[in-house]
Amino acid sequence: MSYAIQINNLKKSYGNNDVLKGLNFNVIKGEIFALLGVNGAGKTTTLECIENLRKYDSGSIVVNGKMGIQLQSSSLPAHIKPMEAVRLFAKWNKAKIDQSMLIALGIKELEKKRYVEMSMGQKRRLHLVLALISDPDIVFLDEPTAGLDVEGRISLHNQIRKLKAQGKTIILASHDMAEVESLCDRIAIINDGEIVFLDTVAELTAKISRHYTIHIKTSQGNQNFESHNIGETMLTLLEDFKQRNITVLDIKIDRGSLEQHFIKIARGNNE
Amino acid sequence: MNAFLYGVALQWKLDIRSKSLLITCYIVPLLFFIIMGGIYTSIMPESKYTLIQSMTVMGVSMGALIGLPPSLVEIYGSDIKKVYKSNGVPLYLGLVSMFLSAFIHLLIMCAVIYIIAPIAFDATPPSNLPLYFGSLVIFIAVSLSIGSVLGLLIKNQAKLTMISQLVFLPSIMLSGIMFSIDLLPKILEFAGKIFPATWGYKLLIDNNFHFNNFLPLLVIFLTATILCSFLLKKLQSE
Repeated sequence: MSYAIQINNLKKSYGNNDVLKGLNFNVIKGEIFALLGVNGAGKTTTLECIENLRKYDSGSIVVNGKMGIQLQSSSLPAHIKPMEAVRLFAKWNKAKIDQSMLIALGIKELEKKRYVEMSMGQKRRLHLVLALISDPDIVFLDEPTAGLDVEGRISLHNQIRKLKAQGKTIILASHDMAEVESLCDRIAIINDGEIVFLDTVAELTAKISRHYTIHIKTSQGNQNFESHNIGETMLTLLEDFKQRNITVLDIKIDRGSLEQHFIKIARGNNE
Repeated sequence: MNAFLYGVALQWKLDIRSKSLLITCYIVPLLFFIIMGGIYTSIMPESKYTLIQSMTVMGVSMGALIGLPPSLVEIYGSDIKKVYKSNGVPLYLGLVSMFLSAFIHLLIMCAVIYIIAPIAFDATPPSNLPLYFGSLVIFIAVSLSIGSVLGLLIKNQAKLTMISQLVFLPSIMLSGIMFSIDLLPKILEFAGKIFPATWGYKLLIDNNFHFNNFLPLLVIFLTATILCSFLLKKLQSE
């Protein structure tokens, strides 16, 4: 298996605060890999160490390919126009401007706007173009759809799928679990500077499908039950209620969302 | 056009679009020149012999010390720095392109003063034109180098405004452009020699080139250049 990124025992601390406590993970070439974590988990520090924007204390990072980076908090000079920025970055990267990408991401239509006049979504799209301008092998996207409207999201998701189809490796940091579920191949969840989950999206989804919360309304009040085997639990519960002469008024079965499961894992509360 | 030249040309355009740089490089210095030119030549007719040089020193100092640093902070004190760094644009581009762009703007402003002063206020133009403009080029470059250090060193706009004023005001007051430095107490006269405006003014009013006036400017420029390189390196590794 060939890797785009190999992280080995990565450690980083700010003073006495250990932010990364020896991370180990690899990103496979051509996959969309999501790096998730609650605020302060160490996600941005990890990304910035890989992107060579931040120094780390120990461990190793091997990056096999050219990187294109869209940062979470990005900015450009207030009075620059989108096409001027595109030309500037293209010239420094000795790259040809991909006109079809500019059209797909709606940059052409912003030609007369200055950066300061652009909406959050328009700025995000422009920064994505700047990240892709050098035709990188590995693309880092930090919260790429934050601030985008539905149309913008769909267009950006299509663009990301297109990049994957071109064989590019994509590292995605996102809080939008639906986005992660629909786009990503594998997920790493960081909590308190450590990887607490590293597997495929399918595996995370399977974990959810095995976990149920049962809400039962009875003549004696409401009760909640957790279960990993819905059939067996339901039979036991109903038998128990029958024996105790309790009338069941309503039953609700909650499978939980990807978000809920992510929060449980990300906060170290993974059963 | 290659990447570097495109960057400089783009910065030139951005500076024209940015009202703040237009104000500090053109509007305020030229307004000051028009008002003070009228006052000076009315109450001190002999000031017409040094009006062009004194107003030029004032304008260049304002543009370099008040105008340039905030523009640098816009890049180096913000996420623009990260965007440049992470996507193949060298960090020095912001500094060098802003320096060159401001240099051209200040040179134009000085040329306006040079052309208008004799017509409007009967000011006497410098007799040695190549020497005058040669000295002007040196003075603008040195002043901008100080502005560059301020812009790279201080990342907070509010703090920067205060510190820029702390450098600009004594620079102007103690340079000899408003009154002769011989009238100042010795300590203030000495303090004035720390700032490039004093030496720049001397260089501009002299009809012959004096190395003694050039040497302090060279020392200031080299010191500022070393400091800028060090600060850029620090920003790169942050």
